Amino acid sequence: MKLVWLFAVVMSALTGLLAQTSNAATSPWEQPAASLADGIAGILGPGQAHLTIRNQSTISTGDIPAIRRRLEQDLKAHGVLASGAESANAIRITLSENTRERLWVAEVIEGSETRVTMVHVEPGSQQQAQASGGLTLRKQTVFTTKDAVLAALETSNGLVAVEPEQIVIYNYTAEGWREVKRVRIGQTRPLARDPRGVIFPSGNGDGFEASLAGTACSGVYQLTGEWSVRCRESDDPWTIVQPSVTQTGSANQGTATQMDISVTPFKAFYNAARNYFTGVFSPSLGEEMPPFYSAAQIVRSASNAPLLIGGIDGKVQIWNGPTLKPVSGTRDWGSDFAALTSGCGAGTQIVASGSGEAPTDSIRAYELPALEAIPASAPLAMDGTVTALWTAPDGKSVFAVVRSAADQYEVDRVTASCNE
Amino acid sequence: MNRYPNPSASSGQALATKTTTWRGWGTLCLILAALALPAAARTRPHYGGTLRVEIEGDPWQQARRLVFDGLTSIDADGNIRPALTMNWKSENDNHRWQFSLRTGVHFHDSTPLTSASVVASLGADCATNCPWTAVHAVGSSVVFTSDSPMPNLPALLAGDGYLIALTESSGGTQGGGAPSNAKGTGPFQFTAVNNGALILEANDACWQGHPFVDKIEIVGHKSIRDQWLDLSVGRADLVEVPAEQLRQAREQHLTVAVSPSVELLALAVADGGVLGDPHLRAAIALAVDRSALSNVIFQKQGEITASLLPSALTGYSFLFSADRDVNKAHELRGGLTPPPLTLSTEVGATMQLAAQRIALNLREAGFNVQVAPTGKPQHTDLVLLRLTLESNQPQAALESLLRGVGVANPVLESTPAGLFRVEHEFLETHTLIPLLYLPRAYAVGGRVRDLRLSPDGAPQLADVSLEDAP
Repeated sequence: MKLVWLFAVVMSALTGLLAQTSNAATSPWEQPAASLADGIAGILGPGQAHLTIRNQSTISTGDIPAIRRRLEQDLKAHGVLASGAESANAIRITLSENTRERLWVAEVIEGSETRVTMVHVEPGSQQQAQASGGLTLRKQTVFTTKDAVLAALETSNGLVAVEPEQIVIYNYTAEGWREVKRVRIGQTRPLARDPRGVIFPSGNGDGFEASLAGTACSGVYQLTGEWSVRCRESDDPWTIVQPSVTQTGSANQGTATQMDISVTPFKAFYNAARNYFTGVFSPSLGEEMPPFYSAAQIVRSASNAPLLIGGIDGKVQIWNGPTLKPVSGTRDWGSDFAALTSGCGAGTQIVASGSGEAPTDSIRAYELPALEAIPASAPLAMDGTVTALWTAPDGKSVFAVVRSAADQYEVDRVTASCNE
Repeated sequence: MNRYPNPSASSGQALATKTTTWRGWGTLCLILAALALPAAARTRPHYGGTLRVEIEGDPWQQARRLVFDGLTSIDADGNIRPALTMNWKSENDNHRWQFSLRTGVHFHDSTPLTSASVVASLGADCATNCPWTAVHAVGSSVVFTSDSPMPNLPALLAGDGYLIALTESSGGTQGGGAPSNAKGTGPFQFTAVNNGALILEANDACWQGHPFVDKIEIVGHKSIRDQWLDLSVGRADLVEVPAEQLRQAREQHLTVAVSPSVELLALAVADGGVLGDPHLRAAIALAVDRSALSNVIFQKQGEITASLLPSALTGYSFLFSADRDVNKAHELRGGLTPPPLTLSTEVGATMQLAAQRIALNLREAGFNVQVAPTGKPQHTDLVLLRLTLESNQPQAALESLLRGVGVANPVLESTPAGLFRVEHEFLETHTLIPLLYLPRAYAVGGRVRDLRLSPDGAPQLADVSLEDAP
């Protein structure tokens, strides 16, 4: 049979079709099926045809009968009736996909002539099941972006994201976070290959202070309702533990008592040409500290709030003055961790990224009652690699930046709930 | 696992990795590994150390991407990213493009990157075979103009053919094929050729940041067997794994990074002389047994294809039939016995075997085909070649492939249906017969961390770090 390929280009950009669709009343296949049926009817016109469907995509086989029904219904509305194999005409539908989207292709065969029509469908997103354990961690995606995010801060006037070369400010709308301002940082020195940054609310809570390698930025939400952002070259030490934060903690297991604890402000110098802190604190801790990737303060009581340090040699040590002591049980930890004041157990846990052995990362909460890290939750799977982890200003949640395999960046808020 | 975000360079493809130890070294390695384990893991990359790379080909070809940058780059998802240019805009229906250069970028000899140096480099790179008609320096911008629309120019500029070099230094060559004064803006700078190894040192002032390793040594012209041997005894950190030896590498428990399908094995068919008859070219396309090539020669590591772009990029490649039909080939030949045809291919035992297999297929369909001896360039009727998919952005990838085989028309379509039409129209000429898509793969030693592959399957060595770095 000689095939003559003609083309009927019926393209429908069905953006956002499947994403965020939890309404069971609306089938995610409704729109692509209707568009494909339109294309087929445009080629074939009213009549009968033998319809076959094959699935070469990640669509579950359980969904195929529903898709078939939908297509038959839509074709019928155009006067095209699905018939038996004896029909002279055939419609061969392939549910295919590429790395970006789904593609539904119909080959319409009339005698020796085959014509093609296709529609593309945005891939759907699926909610991930939460992990469970003695203390349960839950994550909620705050926003996603194609650009690398080093740190982010939710303020009463919007969300501020620190990117390697820009400060981006978002406003919350009914559709989610919408970009309202983008300010170039304008570094004069080369960027770091593993760039890092921190951001904290400024004194009055209306603005922010951010630190990046060799640069400091500050932003103020003005009375006019606009943000003013300024950046300057700076080798000043970075704030690594939020100063003057009132935290809710519990001194005894199972009792979530309220107590006001002023966390010691810690600042440390960052090696702008590398990806770690030098170990020099400001003011000095009175002891030589090793170069480190991460630090967090564990608030045990008003007078007992040691500093945990994750060295670049992979060792985790605790400093409670006057000496550093090694912490065991951290073999599964990655380079990043942050304190979480959950109110459960000892009150404050450390949430650490995984050691990078698995294809996707996870984070897990640990108790540190003494010099041993004891798992306090099951690992919470993340949808990619954790590239940054920090404590929220109120201490009750931590934020994680997760980079997916497709280089999407997702900022997640991770909270904990106490199990009985 | 790659833990760090790279702000502007193209990001790598997803990897398929398998981590175990060498056969025969099992017990010893386990003991050594246990001794070497740190008290706790760290996942951020360390700086320092020397990465030792061995390859079969010319080391300079491996080094070019480390020494030079493009104006743009393409990430793992096919998005175009800023590189030496920060932003761009098109005018006049894509006939004019203006690219604004990144400020503060310097070549390795501290010469500032300027629009004039970019124009000079691009002029030297592709001369008359460029997608543009003219390129000009306008202030700190570079302006491209063309008589034809150039909708894919930002993506095309990410390709290997348009890397930016300081042209006045493209002087003589040393051993290994490296220009002795090659100056780029990339993360590494060429320093020497030492005992056959091409030496690259980290560029401290790289606009993308200092690479993690301080030095890379690339030894070229090494057989795969010797590369694997050196990897096994710790003399090499990264070696090649040809697609047809992937299974063997896995059986030997090498840690292997595999790219998606990025190399198109295709048969180029002359459209003049005896093969000027399109029916004969169509008969050749029907006579080739892709399954045998895939199963026997390439050990089932290739993706059988009759389309130019791989299925992962388009989702429609099944519309092009890859089935062999010898009867139909005979029918199309119409009883004619064409004069003897010559089939040539590049140097390499596997490509020679593949060429021999294709010649056999064609003989079964009534063609008299001889495989030309390697290393003797001559006019041939058929050429078995490997084309690299330079982009994972379908529109640019298609235009780049077509340019590679001499079709200079821009691809104006962007929808799957439009791209399908462009492919179909070209493939109907049967001047290029796609056969297999092959991955690229590399095996790494235990101290290599965070190896990722770029969209064209090349290892992103600037983002690699070493476990035992100080």
